[in-house]
Amino acid sequence: MYGASDSQAQQSADGNDAFNDISSLPAPALKLKEPAVKAVPAILPGQLRPGQVRVDLCENGLPDKNVWPETSPISTEHYYAEAFGFFETPHFYTDTGVRGDRANPLFFRASARISLPAGKHRLLLRARGASCLFIGGEPVLSTPFPPEGRDDYPFSHQNRFLDLGPNCRFVQPGNRESWCFYEANGAEELAVLETVVGSYAGKNKRRPELGETVVAVCLEGQSNWTLLTPLDGKSEAMLQLTYTDTGWATYRKRIEEKLASANAEARERAREAHYEYWQRRRDIAQDWLASTREEAVPALPPGMPAKNTIDRFIGAKLEAFRGQSVEATQGSVDFFKDVWPILEGRCLDCHRGTKSKGGLRLDQRELALKGGKTGNAAIIPGHLDSGELLQRVQSIDTEETMPPKGERLSAREVTTLKTWIAEGAHWPEFRPVPTTLTPLSEDLAFLRRVTLDTVGVIPTLSEIAAFQIDNAPDRRARVIERLLADPRCADHGVGYWQDVLAENPNILNPTLNNTGPFRWWIHESLLDRKPLDLMVTELVLMRGSERFGGPAGFRVASQNDVPMAAKGTILGAAFLGVEMKCARCHDAPAHHFKQEQLFQLGAMLGEKPLTVPTTSSVPMDKLHAGGRKALIEVTLQPNAVVNPAWPFPEFVAPELAGALAENPTNPADALASLLTAPQNERFAQVMANRIWARLMGRGIVEPVADWENAKPTHPELLRWLGRELVRSGYSATHLTRLILNSHAYQRQTLPTQREPNPIYAAPSPRRLQAEQIVDSLFVATGKPFHTEEASLDIDSNRDMGNSLSLGQPSKAWMLTSTSNERDRPSLSLPRIQAVCDVLAAFGWRATRPDPASIREAAPNILQPAILSNGIMGTWLTVLSDDHAVTQLACDARSPRALVETLFLRTLTRLPSPAERARYEALLEPGFSQRLQVPTPAASEAQPNRPPFYVSWSNHLDPNATRIRMQQEAAARRGDAPTQRLQADWRQRLEDVLWSLLNAPEFLFSS
Amino acid sequence: MNRRSFLTTSLLAPFAFPLSRTFGESPIPAQRLGKADHCIFLWLGGGMSQVDTFDPKQLGQNQGEKKLPGSLYPSIETAVPGVRLCEHLSRTAPLMDRVTAVRSVQHKVIDEHAFATNLVHTGRMISGNALYPSLGSIVANQRGAASPEVPAYILVGYPNVSRGPGFLGTKSGYLYLTETSAGPAGFRRPDHLNEDRIARRKGLLEPFLNNASDGAAADYREAQQEALRLAGPGFIRHFRLEEESASLRESYGGEFGQRCLMARRLIQAGVRFVEVSHNLNFLNGAGWDVHNDGIKSQHLLIQELDAALAALISDLERLHLLDRTLIVVATEFGRPPEFDARGGRGHQGTAFSMVLAGGGLRHCGAYGLTDDLSKTVLENPVSIPDFHATILATLGVDPHKDLMDGSRPVPVTDGGTPIAALLG
Repeated sequence: MYGASDSQAQQSADGNDAFNDISSLPAPALKLKEPAVKAVPAILPGQLRPGQVRVDLCENGLPDKNVWPETSPISTEHYYAEAFGFFETPHFYTDTGVRGDRANPLFFRASARISLPAGKHRLLLRARGASCLFIGGEPVLSTPFPPEGRDDYPFSHQNRFLDLGPNCRFVQPGNRESWCFYEANGAEELAVLETVVGSYAGKNKRRPELGETVVAVCLEGQSNWTLLTPLDGKSEAMLQLTYTDTGWATYRKRIEEKLASANAEARERAREAHYEYWQRRRDIAQDWLASTREEAVPALPPGMPAKNTIDRFIGAKLEAFRGQSVEATQGSVDFFKDVWPILEGRCLDCHRGTKSKGGLRLDQRELALKGGKTGNAAIIPGHLDSGELLQRVQSIDTEETMPPKGERLSAREVTTLKTWIAEGAHWPEFRPVPTTLTPLSEDLAFLRRVTLDTVGVIPTLSEIAAFQIDNAPDRRARVIERLLADPRCADHGVGYWQDVLAENPNILNPTLNNTGPFRWWIHESLLDRKPLDLMVTELVLMRGSERFGGPAGFRVASQNDVPMAAKGTILGAAFLGVEMKCARCHDAPAHHFKQEQLFQLGAMLGEKPLTVPTTSSVPMDKLHAGGRKALIEVTLQPNAVVNPAWPFPEFVAPELAGALAENPTNPADALASLLTAPQNERFAQVMANRIWARLMGRGIVEPVADWENAKPTHPELLRWLGRELVRSGYSATHLTRLILNSHAYQRQTLPTQREPNPIYAAPSPRRLQAEQIVDSLFVATGKPFHTEEASLDIDSNRDMGNSLSLGQPSKAWMLTSTSNERDRPSLSLPRIQAVCDVLAAFGWRATRPDPASIREAAPNILQPAILSNGIMGTWLTVLSDDHAVTQLACDARSPRALVETLFLRTLTRLPSPAERARYEALLEPGFSQRLQVPTPAASEAQPNRPPFYVSWSNHLDPNATRIRMQQEAAARRGDAPTQRLQADWRQRLEDVLWSLLNAPEFLFSS
Repeated sequence: MNRRSFLTTSLLAPFAFPLSRTFGESPIPAQRLGKADHCIFLWLGGGMSQVDTFDPKQLGQNQGEKKLPGSLYPSIETAVPGVRLCEHLSRTAPLMDRVTAVRSVQHKVIDEHAFATNLVHTGRMISGNALYPSLGSIVANQRGAASPEVPAYILVGYPNVSRGPGFLGTKSGYLYLTETSAGPAGFRRPDHLNEDRIARRKGLLEPFLNNASDGAAADYREAQQEALRLAGPGFIRHFRLEEESASLRESYGGEFGQRCLMARRLIQAGVRFVEVSHNLNFLNGAGWDVHNDGIKSQHLLIQELDAALAALISDLERLHLLDRTLIVVATEFGRPPEFDARGGRGHQGTAFSMVLAGGGLRHCGAYGLTDDLSKTVLENPVSIPDFHATILATLGVDPHKDLMDGSRPVPVTDGGTPIAALLG
């Protein structure tokens, strides 16, 4: 070690609990040992740019243990930064722009020319990995490699973090630090910082993180610390970046934005490299479109409004259905109320779709009339004696009777069926639904709905104002364009694909069918508006980083006996509407896809044959224990080996892969090409149907993930949308734009209508999704979204196989289960838990071991309860200093103006006269005296020493439990209310805000 | 309020419509189903060492150069002749005729807490095809709450997927509280609100509720009105331990005991299933996961369990609730008789103990037999599905029936068979 005074954020220190006061410390002697890296790095002057720090990343030649390399590693990549303050490198992207992994450990070198004024200054070095700072070719400061992994480090060492006064931030968890005096002569010098990113915990590796790798300086005679910055060629002075908590936060935010755009550019470059292949795919798609029949667009029936082509399809169907619904009102039995539940509940499990028992289908009238293999019609309208349905449900012969298992039909059910058949067995296509079209929605209702449907949150005040002052006739189309270009669209989409693709990372010991955190790939794919065929191809190829956000994370299924079969079920449901969950273990009773087909798909995905394990099979002897033929069959025996093969020739011929795939001999590549082939109309239609369902409340095909037994409501429209998707180059944005601009989408909702209207006469109010609710609550209140880092290893002390960090969440989709299966208070994350509680009540899943395309939407009392009384609700409704409504209240001109603003911010509407009067009456008393001068805190000197942190490394220390319990109590309390507003008036305003946020109206998009 | 429609939508709804669709089942005779109405499920996270508690063996030695495998503490006699317990279970010992230590539980999963915890809660291996419900959720789903005023399933511990409703959906989920003073999440009003403010809030919300008169918003309104009512004193009083006598509270012991007392209050109010997690860190950091030095205070954990369990059994008996309430002591795995380098113990799933008490079972003190060191099961092995089947049968739930995951039938246990000797 070089510096005489260094402290480790992780050190099994004992004793010395006294805070270090640097002013009282003797100057450390600059007595240096052997340099860490034998050769002082050779930096070529031509490589440096004025005013910038050159960063070299060196991926080769690092030892496989925690020691410095013998020779200075060679740079493999470089970029420029603005200061010696690092927390993240730009991501490495591979293939078409998916996150990949750099070498771990990675050698990181930052160099710049600096110039410190003459004097004896203090220098500070902090880093997560081992690090060394050279100035003028001499090693000046260093920090050691991270210590061994433990779970019971004492807390006392946190008292030994350097206290460099109020103008310097404290060291962060998992970083080590050292400082020294440095005598500068005012000359220009070369500063080089080297650090090893990532380290070994025994034989395993830790996450390759920079933590907070910083060189800071405090000039002689001064007390403020700044980041070391390069000498600007133009001006003498170096950039002033204060290294306080707020200074660092500002700096970090700016650099994060720069990194995000650098990352986007890197992805773009990676995609460019594959331009030719994808251009060929586009050409093939256009050729295919030209060679196949265009869907005829129907004429618009008279009186039907239309804003675009979609409305013509919808209008034609509406017209046709109005004819049908007249017929349905005949007879005394209500088919959907009385008959359908019997058929659905007791018959259709076996008698529907492509794999109906005895060849009989009872899910459509004409098929029921036709009958099954017995040759007898199941239903003969008007005849009570000869239809097989009535005979079998009344039979007492155990070989004959239906249903074959379980309770018999009740006498009442039989009578209902009889009456229905006697009266002619009327069977309308839909339940009775409103057929009268509603007019276009009000402007603000439209704005709220379309904003939620695109960017996932309610509109802000400025978005409302911008829309309202736009007088152009196409203002709705313009707002749609603005929203479709908004990067928040990506945030809105992540949660959906996390569900559909069963993204299931676990921040602690992932053993519960966990995947890698490929949420970051989903997010970047949506940010980049990747064509859907490209996105699916990237997913299927499963390349890039497994643990840090590439689609390789999809490959993982911890503790799953056949991961590729599990992934096959996900792909089938997501992209082909083929449900194969049952086929994982046996051939399904209600689906014709067999276990073998699923394993073929899995084998393609995994690029090698799959073996059927005994654990994923159903023993045949169990199946035949009963008398009648078992409902399920097992045609693949355990230990059977299944080779890669395209299992769905009915969608697209496997030979097409030869022409389509970038590398047709690779089974996964062939799979990707067949899934996404334009000739595979099923894919485009499934994707179009998913987009449609999210915007219109129901799919043209339902359920969206299982098409086998479904009948599309608008088959022509579906085909047209599928072709539009292909035509646009698989652009989800294009399809979304079409739908949002339709009259059908923009119609007024019908509040009395519970279910989505299948002919789209009027939309039904839709309850916001869990993430929309949480994110909108933070938008409406302007309260900062502040939780713990989503990690139980914030100091990166554990093997990276066992501990992830999902970073600092800023949106609901970034959260995950707190995974406290151990029930240890010391492993709780109370603020994350508080937000997860809200999300979970509204149908979000903290863990996703299986895929889901729809969420539970039924109301339950936990929902209003957790919003009204939950911890997150407290944060939102206490007017703290950082709450946006606090500032609004201070600035308000009148109670009326404040009330109007609050209504717009929360409910996207103005108050009614009665509401205005009610709230004005409440806020008027004391309004003019509401402002007060904050009473200064008892002691001005705010200690900037951060509270003790808890991580896995110290969670067994008894202090960990105590500290977490305090954090839990603090989370429950929320932030202190502001002193700027008089208490009684403030409390009234808080109650006003509470009522607006808890109004049922807030949760619905109308 | 339109209660009928509330009951069909809300979390607190008793499960009003039992599933009639079945799938390859063979119903067991009704007389072999038990008659218990409630279950208190005590969770000892970390892995309770069976040789140091309910399956004592010869004394071992965990210190010094030459360590000897075996129990860490001497054993004592119990109310059941021939059945012995560790000496730190001295209050439970006289009650063992109301208890059966199932000593032959076994599973084969990897030694990882979350994974085994998931198995013991759901009775299933993890799968990518279904999110399996926990035992508590199955009971909530099948039996509903005994009173419409309370939920069917309450958890005193940290929420996680293993305890969740899985494919049964939110209505079969839990309300949770992390400790006895915390109150159930969502139903404890923030401390800074006084009655005036609560009334003002209700008054301001009222017109919004009236606006929500149609469709889905009206359904939500009903849930909201019910939530407002439950956040009031009627429901919350079930969580108020202050209403119990000081001497009774004292008999239950520390925080874990107080959680057990709360569980008793909750089942009295009609809650069907209460899971109580042992508050682990408080005594030794790692709780029952007694590796290395963690074992030094294991006896304190056992004593805390002893006090709480004995008090719970006696208290339920005093209230004539013991026969109707099944108490389960569960854990994710046991521990081997050997000691690690610092005298603690590793993990062992191949043979370990879980405990049943009350519930109207024919108790025999101990069931199943392990070898001289409790490393292997010699007689009457009990799998996790068997253990679940026993609990479900005791609660009157047919352990061979199917649950529905959408349209897919999923057997309620993975081929489990109830322990016939206990159900009789």
